[in-house]
Amino acid sequence: MRSRYDWVIWTFFWGGLALTALFVGGPVLNAIWLSLHQASSFIAEPKFVGLGNYARVVQEPEFWSAMANGLIYALSAIVLQVVIGIAFAMVLNQPFFGQRLVRGLATLPYLLPTVVVALTFQWLADGSVGLLTVIARDLGLGTIPWFEQPATARASVILASVWLWTPFVTICVLAGLQSIPPALYEAAKVDGAGPVSIFFHVTLPQLKPVLTVVVLLRAIWMFNKFDVIWLLTKGGPLGATEHLPILAYKRAFSLFDVGGGAAVATVSFLILMAAVSTYLWMFPLEEKR
Amino acid sequence: MASVTLEGVTKSFAGLTVVQSVDLAIAEGEFMVLVGPSGCGKSTTLRMIAGLEETSGGTIRIGARDVTQLEPRERNIAMVFQNYALYPHKSVRENLAFGLKMRGTGKAEIEQRVARAAAMLKIEPLLARKPRQLSGGQMQRVALGRALVREPDVFLFDEPLSNLDAKMRVHMRDEIARLHREVGTAMIYVTHDQVEAMTLGDRICVMKDGVVQQVGRPLDVYDRPANTFVAGFIGSPEMNFADGEIASEDGRPVFRSGPLALPLDGARQGAALEPGQPVTLGIRPEHLTVAATGLPARVLHVERMGAESVLQLDAGVGLRALVDRDDGVEEGDTIHLAAPANRLHLFGRDGLALGGAGR
Ligand SMILES: Nc1ncnc2c1ncn2[C@@H]1O[C@H](COP(=O)(O)OP(=O)(O)OP(=O)(O)O)[C@@H](O)[C@H]1O
Ligand SMILES: [Mg+2]
Repeated sequence: MRSRYDWVIWTFFWGGLALTALFVGGPVLNAIWLSLHQASSFIAEPKFVGLGNYARVVQEPEFWSAMANGLIYALSAIVLQVVIGIAFAMVLNQPFFGQRLVRGLATLPYLLPTVVVALTFQWLADGSVGLLTVIARDLGLGTIPWFEQPATARASVILASVWLWTPFVTICVLAGLQSIPPALYEAAKVDGAGPVSIFFHVTLPQLKPVLTVVVLLRAIWMFNKFDVIWLLTKGGPLGATEHLPILAYKRAFSLFDVGGGAAVATVSFLILMAAVSTYLWMFPLEEKR
Repeated sequence: MASVTLEGVTKSFAGLTVVQSVDLAIAEGEFMVLVGPSGCGKSTTLRMIAGLEETSGGTIRIGARDVTQLEPRERNIAMVFQNYALYPHKSVRENLAFGLKMRGTGKAEIEQRVARAAAMLKIEPLLARKPRQLSGGQMQRVALGRALVREPDVFLFDEPLSNLDAKMRVHMRDEIARLHREVGTAMIYVTHDQVEAMTLGDRICVMKDGVVQQVGRPLDVYDRPANTFVAGFIGSPEMNFADGEIASEDGRPVFRSGPLALPLDGARQGAALEPGQPVTLGIRPEHLTVAATGLPARVLHVERMGAESVLQLDAGVGLRALVDRDDGVEEGDTIHLAAPANRLHLFGRDGLALGGAGR
């Protein structure tokens, strides 16, 4: 139906499309174009080299270890965020004294700027006076080298990311939990289901639509996450926390291999696109409950 | 199969008592209907029997077992919910099987019981579907089926028909009555619809404000309501009431209210009447008949319902009468009413039936 407000709709539609093209499509195409050229800096005249940059970067072991690091980081962070996020949401969904206050506090890490969180985390994990270090020492775990050894550095980066973004999962799941009709739980109780069966037969299936979106968003963000890792470890030590976005950044901005960096970024983008498409094919979003 | 016994069952929410000391015994195989206006505590009572709501006091027994402190799953009850509460992500077959699976019933037995219940409810063609692919009536059948396969000690229903259209409701009512005859297990059924209560119940329990008003066979409650509330709640159109007092004419008791005077000879509760005693008189619209002589009344309005008409009358007090459509009464007419004395109900000013009827 035509209405006299059509122009508003079309303005927003074309306006949105134009902005998206300009600020998303443009850089993506530019990166792809760059990845097909060789340039030793951003001001040098680029020379077309075809797929040469790709051939070069995939032969380097750093590329493959960055890929593996990225997958380990993204997968563990997502799994932990989702599991802990669901657990928190279920606790916060129970009525208890001070529920509103605790709900508010639980979302706090998500509201803080990443820089603040990263610096706070570094401070908590300070080798001599950090709270976490002191607690670990008092628990008899010795002095934990939070960022100095590959294994602990990986764990620390994951830990910080989980701490930062679990609230997002918690908020979404909490909203999902509140929309589950209580009668379903009651029917299950009458049917003889205990708490565990109720979780797997009522709660989880009812959360599926919400979890499908949450996991997708978390996956995209975690796979592309740059700031937290850069702020905490810069990809170190010994490249233990270096994943594709960091590798691309280092190549382009530290080594001034602009073409190589763009090639890494493009590969990363293609992998993510393939993964997201597969995911959406397996769990279509439009599924109705 | 088992009986259900409630002794002094009470429920309070934050200091507000919504179910007050309910005593009720449902015999093995009996169909008991809890009926009453909205908010009277029917659902709360049923949910306490199910174990979905904790009691604030009293004891609930199923058979000889005291189940007051038991979890719902330990009570061996089955419940049909108002909104069906089918598991949306499970097929009809899985919905039916779930309760048995949770109790560790064998695969073969589950299949057999699901098949039997599906046949009884004629839902075999629906077994592979998801609930969202069903109509309201079909969902209701599946919900019944889910209760049926369990073969519980007692079935609980909370307004299971209120989401269906009028025709479907009558149909499913007959279906539930048939199921009860076939399985012969005790059923407790909550409704605010007195027609459902009258037609389904072996006995009905009328509640108001969390207090049981009367328990009895439907027709006994209809014939001998224990108080004005029950008298007004059961029966449609509602019973006529008139406040007045007992007078004596020539040594015979008469009910008098302003210009209205009705002889009470032969009234069921006539024996204990004393002149000057204040009473409330009740008579059902269907027991007032148009006659050649008797109480004069002006017809204010005629509501034609088909076979019968409801007359709004002014006989000094406002009255309603249910008459045959062929009685030829028109608005503005003045007619005479006959009220058989044995159909009159007399209540004290406290609302209780005189002579301790009902109870
Ligand atoms: N969880 C609760 N918290 C507080 N009050 C409640 C709660 N559940 C029910 N009540 C109150 O208890 C009273 C009885 O409620 P109940 O649901 O048993 O009524 P009902 O007879 O089933 O009415 P309806 O016909 O409307 O379903 C109502 O006044 C209701 O407001
Ligand atoms: Mg109710």
